[in-house]
Amino acid sequence: MNSVSKKVLFINLDKSTSEVKTFPDLHKYIGGVALGLKLYELYQNEDPLIFSIGPLNGFFPFISKTSVVFETDGLIEDVYFGGYLSSRLRFSDLDSLIIFGRASQPVILDLQNESVSFREDDAPHNSLGLPGKRSFLGIVKKQPLLDDYFLSPESGLGQKFEKKRLAGLSVTGTAVYTPKDMDKYTTVYKQLLARTKEVGAEHGFFPSCSGCPMGCAKSNLGEVGGNVLSHSLVACGFAENIYTDVGTVFSCLNILGYDYTHEDIENLPILVQNVLKNLG
Amino acid sequence: MAKCLKASFPQKCIGCELCVLEAQRQLKKVGLEGALIRILRNKKDDKEFLEYSIDMDARINSLDIESIRSVCPTEVFEILNEDAHELG
Repeated sequence: MNSVSKKVLFINLDKSTSEVKTFPDLHKYIGGVALGLKLYELYQNEDPLIFSIGPLNGFFPFISKTSVVFETDGLIEDVYFGGYLSSRLRFSDLDSLIIFGRASQPVILDLQNESVSFREDDAPHNSLGLPGKRSFLGIVKKQPLLDDYFLSPESGLGQKFEKKRLAGLSVTGTAVYTPKDMDKYTTVYKQLLARTKEVGAEHGFFPSCSGCPMGCAKSNLGEVGGNVLSHSLVACGFAENIYTDVGTVFSCLNILGYDYTHEDIENLPILVQNVLKNLG
Repeated sequence: MAKCLKASFPQKCIGCELCVLEAQRQLKKVGLEGALIRILRNKKDDKEFLEYSIDMDARINSLDIESIRSVCPTEVFEILNEDAHELG
């Protein structure tokens, strides 16, 4: 876990290469949409497709979305998926994944932690990654479909995959963490898990996102728009009441060893505004 | 009599992995590697919804299985006497 920097996996589809870079100067962007937009600003000339998670993904309940930032029809889009992708990126020890360029032929990216295999688009899905530890984002009827159930909230992402000749993305994460104060971490985890009444969704028996007990009917719909802090942590929009509380967020970050201050959290929307101004 | 955890109602599983994470926390870990429970997703072409299967390592019974049973939001698990489990 990178408590003082952001770790980004760069994948170049033109050259079939990949590289991990660490960015201490991006630490203040915390994660999710804030980190994704800043990375977009830095690499906008390379048509980046950027997947980002936040520092609490995989560690706490109701924080199970993944932010995706990309350009379509001249507009910068930010969309949010549920499913297992955020926890698998967390357990790959990555904060972001950036995909550049266009493959010479349709390709499936098979990631295991920082390692990338470029597979042919007809590779059997059960040959990708490790069972029980992977997430798979594929294309069905020209639309992205995550883990056989979770949808993108709009059509631009499917077009972006098609443009890049990206037929699928499999992410397997095998990293294991031990928070310094495991007892305190467990206590806070259970306190948050007990706050289901504050979640704006009904309990159900639908497929749920990793780490979410709700099984709600809307888990597969994805999200657009919403609160900057919540989308930078990449929490579920229905749990916005919990994860827009600066005190709660600070406690969670602190337990995991992050050095963010209350002011860092409070000032995040201003950082995002500045990035958006730079992007025009 | 020894107690054991059994996934008696896998059809109720929603794939949230809270049981996996609870077992890992008891082992002082956050992550999926070395987990004593694995949730596997099965998509049948003729069915609209996903099905999940629950793979458990027998060593799970050395943990606090009541906490694992109770963290499940859809009551997939039961705790049985070991003899009853063997017969069942």
